[in-house]
Amino acid sequence: MVDTSTSAGGAGRGAEATRNRPVYTPAADIHETEDALVLLVEMPGVRPDQVEVGLDKRVLTITGHAAARRHEGYSLAVCEYRPGDFERVFTLSDMIDEGGIEALMKDGVLRLTLPKAKAEPARTIKVKVG
Amino acid sequence: MDIRDLMPWVAPRGAEPVAGGEHPLRTLQDELNRVFDSLVRTIPGAGAAAAVAPFLGEGPRIDVAETETEVKVSAELPGLEEKDIEVSLSGHLLTIKGEKKAEAEQQLLNYHVNERVFGAFSRSIPLPAGIDADAVTAAFRNGVLTITVPKTQEAVKEAKRIAVKAD
Repeated sequence: MVDTSTSAGGAGRGAEATRNRPVYTPAADIHETEDALVLLVEMPGVRPDQVEVGLDKRVLTITGHAAARRHEGYSLAVCEYRPGDFERVFTLSDMIDEGGIEALMKDGVLRLTLPKAKAEPARTIKVKVG
Repeated sequence: MDIRDLMPWVAPRGAEPVAGGEHPLRTLQDELNRVFDSLVRTIPGAGAAAAVAPFLGEGPRIDVAETETEVKVSAELPGLEEKDIEVSLSGHLLTIKGEKKAEAEQQLLNYHVNERVFGAFSRSIPLPAGIDADAVTAAFRNGVLTITVPKTQEAVKEAKRIAVKAD
């Protein structure tokens, strides 16, 4: 169905991130319904307009650019997360209807619905007599 | 460069990023983490759970930042709604409590990848003295909870500067 690529995001696919900030691998859930695959990706602190979903030759790339969450003008007393970007890459199977993919960002969780492609009816080709 | 970057034993306990960083050693460490993460992910069953942030048990990851007049606590709580989060202040102990519930439809379905963690959590953060408990505000946006705790007028005034004299 969907494979997690073994490399960690686009940065792991030979290219280095151009921005000098950390890239995190977000936690994801993938489950299957009768007519779709549903991906849920956790990207806390990312606004809906900061999410990029790209699809290129069955390779689905999800990128979230989190705002610099360090509070301006404040000194940090406890720091358990560093501001950074999220990136994850999945390879889709042929069965996905790429035109019907829907993305919804809510409360820091991206929900991608990947509808399964309907099987094309078998075609018979008429053979003409030449 | 942050001196802490050179001291992994005092590094924050949150998840380490998979790439980037400003120091060569940090970059090397990030690179190794990334290789290790990708290796872990190829083991079926082990999943990427090891590579992603822990959520339960330890509670959400937090940042605490302060200025002279207020303290700001932020916590990463993706997938929760405002109504699932409870913030309370008892004395100087700020507690963030909540439960992250899986959507009902998710419980029956066929999973391919299952990395997100659900359940109840609680985390308490001691705040400094001289905070104004009545004026605490909390906002939840894009999966990040931000609690603003102003300091009292007295506490701001009392911060006395002590001159350091040379003998």
